[in-house]
Amino acid sequence: MKIGKIVKSDSHINYVCQIFGPREADIQPGPADYAFGRFVRIAVRSERADDPDALLDEALGQSREPVTYAVGVIYDTILQNPAFGALGPRLSNETQVELFSPDYISEKAVLTYIMVLGMMEERAVFGSEPEVLSVMHGVPLLSLELDSEIETMTDEEVRAFHFFSDPAGGPDSQSPYLHMGYIPHIIAQRSSLLPMVTLRIIDQLERLFPQNLSLLSIVKRNFAWRLKVETTG
Amino acid sequence: MFEESIIESPAQPAYRRPVGITKGPGEATHEFTFVSRDDQQVLKNGEYVYYELADPETVALNNTTGPIPIRRVLGRVIKRVPVQLYPDTFLGEPEIPPAQVAAMVGYNSRTNELFELHVAIMGYYDATTGSFINPWIPPQSGKQIYLADDAMLAQILSRKQHMDPGSATIGSLLTRTPNAVPIVLSVKDLVSTHMAIIASTGAGKSYLASVVIEELMKAQNKACVLIVDPHGEYGTLDQIANYPQFSEDGDGTGRGYRAQVQVYKPDQVKVRISTLNIGDMRQLLPEMTEKQQYLLSRALRKVHETKRSHPWGVADLKQAIKAVSRQKNDEDSEGADDSSTVHALTWRIEQRFEHSFTFDDTQHLDLPEIFRPGQCTVLQLNEIDERDQQVVVATLLRRLNQARMDTERGKVHSGESYLPYPVFVLLEEAHHFAPGGTEVVSTGILKQVLAEGRKFGIGVGLISQRPGKLDADVLSQCQTQCIMRIVNEIDQKSVAAAIEGVGRDLLDNLPALSKGQVIVAGAAVNTPVICRVRTRYTQHGGESKDAPDLWQQYFNKDTQESRRRSDAPLNGNRGFNLLR
Repeated sequence: MKIGKIVKSDSHINYVCQIFGPREADIQPGPADYAFGRFVRIAVRSERADDPDALLDEALGQSREPVTYAVGVIYDTILQNPAFGALGPRLSNETQVELFSPDYISEKAVLTYIMVLGMMEERAVFGSEPEVLSVMHGVPLLSLELDSEIETMTDEEVRAFHFFSDPAGGPDSQSPYLHMGYIPHIIAQRSSLLPMVTLRIIDQLERLFPQNLSLLSIVKRNFAWRLKVETTG
Repeated sequence: MFEESIIESPAQPAYRRPVGITKGPGEATHEFTFVSRDDQQVLKNGEYVYYELADPETVALNNTTGPIPIRRVLGRVIKRVPVQLYPDTFLGEPEIPPAQVAAMVGYNSRTNELFELHVAIMGYYDATTGSFINPWIPPQSGKQIYLADDAMLAQILSRKQHMDPGSATIGSLLTRTPNAVPIVLSVKDLVSTHMAIIASTGAGKSYLASVVIEELMKAQNKACVLIVDPHGEYGTLDQIANYPQFSEDGDGTGRGYRAQVQVYKPDQVKVRISTLNIGDMRQLLPEMTEKQQYLLSRALRKVHETKRSHPWGVADLKQAIKAVSRQKNDEDSEGADDSSTVHALTWRIEQRFEHSFTFDDTQHLDLPEIFRPGQCTVLQLNEIDERDQQVVVATLLRRLNQARMDTERGKVHSGESYLPYPVFVLLEEAHHFAPGGTEVVSTGILKQVLAEGRKFGIGVGLISQRPGKLDADVLSQCQTQCIMRIVNEIDQKSVAAAIEGVGRDLLDNLPALSKGQVIVAGAAVNTPVICRVRTRYTQHGGESKDAPDLWQQYFNKDTQESRRRSDAPLNGNRGFNLLR
């Protein structure tokens, strides 16, 4: 589900996304769709084919070309209201404005902050789940473009993003295992909400990977102790 | 040593792979540290590593014309400090290896540990002097550190090479695979400057001693050995005669060699009464009154005067006492009556000597018979009272010392006290014969032999499980030390105090040594080494009894049956007994 578009970036990995407002999308996203700690992905249009057939396929959702996504997590939300504080004289109230001046565009917006955690490459397979070609955790090489659309990820996609085997040449390249290679760079960021988002991520992963509970509990306990006990004590 | 490294330096064989890189100087002056991943876990504590150094002497002479020889400066790893380990929180889940956690967060490299190793510099080996020369300069930071290979260690740790004449291979270097680096003692130094084997019970003292004896009896040594065995543990050495390791075929010019073992049972160990001196008498007849001692010493002097070097017996001594007391009465003329003293003294002497199987009027151990090259003599003293044991050892050492002195000085050329070859005496339970703090009859002669034995060719090996109870002077006279597991702190301290040759870092390993592992230091090796004692050829005799097994045997079906038969009433009939 598409929930918004990129309107600004603070750094190579921090992006600001404006959530679609009323009448901007077919289904207007609700607060549950852009909840704190939600995994989202943004298609990176690294090389746009000039071939009109390919454009048509893409439009029809039949493209067989691999698509690269940047995968991120929502870690902050801001409700933007330019009218706040403007307590000056007003001719009509809000309902009257909507009724009598429908072309008056409301400047209110919901902005979410997204941190990019890695990349994944997929290829659509006709009639079944898309095939995951590669996953990478860490800082992506390519930057995202303004106005790129942001989609939420399904559980299956989140699972695919976390459970993969190392590229050939690694020590355990044979069997896939649970990865959280973005944790070090989350910790390196300064935002006070990021540790909390890590805990949220772990909660989700615990639900998705019940077989790795004890492994996750090590990271979770470590974070929870530092966040909750050490800061309070 | 250094010619070799010049040849092999371009080729770089497999074992020349560096194991680490020098970090810098260590805590003490002659230490340095290096950093290694140690993937193969070869850098154990006590392992030998080296760095290369341009020969300092050649460099100092400014001799730049020829190639500068490369010295390999050897050092011993004394401490291993981890510098990169998993955080404690990664270790919180016993079922999850920390490597898995690290892989999850993106660190999936195979290697993760990193160690800082502290090395004590020993120096480079100088073949001409057979010693290690400290270059007084630690390696530069960034210099490569190599693991010393087996061939190099075999050549420089031991003074002799395996199977050389005068060598005793007692085992192999502990940190390497068994038999990779043989530890070879130099028998010449071992025998001339004495040896001590010190360990707690059960650490393998008598096992090691037996290995040393086996080596001494091999064809390359053909030694003349006497074992004083207060517990009867060395009887199994008599198997030596049956093993091919201890014989040598003749080369046609003479007879071949075959090691001989003579075991003297306690009842065969005799001491001739005429070899006892007043000190021995005092030990054997404790708590004599002043008068008795006076009479006895005069009587001994008299009997020595009259009999000269001929043997005398109890009867002669008693006669002498009577004669001396009579003479004294005449001199005193005061009429002091010594008859009760004389009576008491002769009674005690009769009690002590007339029915003793150790002390005899005529028989005693014949020196040329018990000391013979290629022969190992075991004196079993296990049924003899401890005081008597001390007297046996004291008289024997006294006679041996005298015989060797007389032979060396050319005073005798044949007969009972002619011993024209050096001997080696192994004293088990040495703290009985030279206890610390008190003087017993054997202390004096033992000290004398240890101090002068080198001149006259008497080597002594002391074995003790209580170094704390052993006289400190005696222990420090032993220039070769074999120290095995010691747990008792007092004993550890006394070992450290008496033995200067072994570094503190090696002695710290004492409680950690396992059975059959020994620290060898001193004159017989080039540098202190930790050694794994080799397997004995002959069976070991010093085992403890397996009590539960023996109890089980008591209820064994066959033994029960035989006991039932022997307890049967008919058994009173001796004839029946004989028939069975």
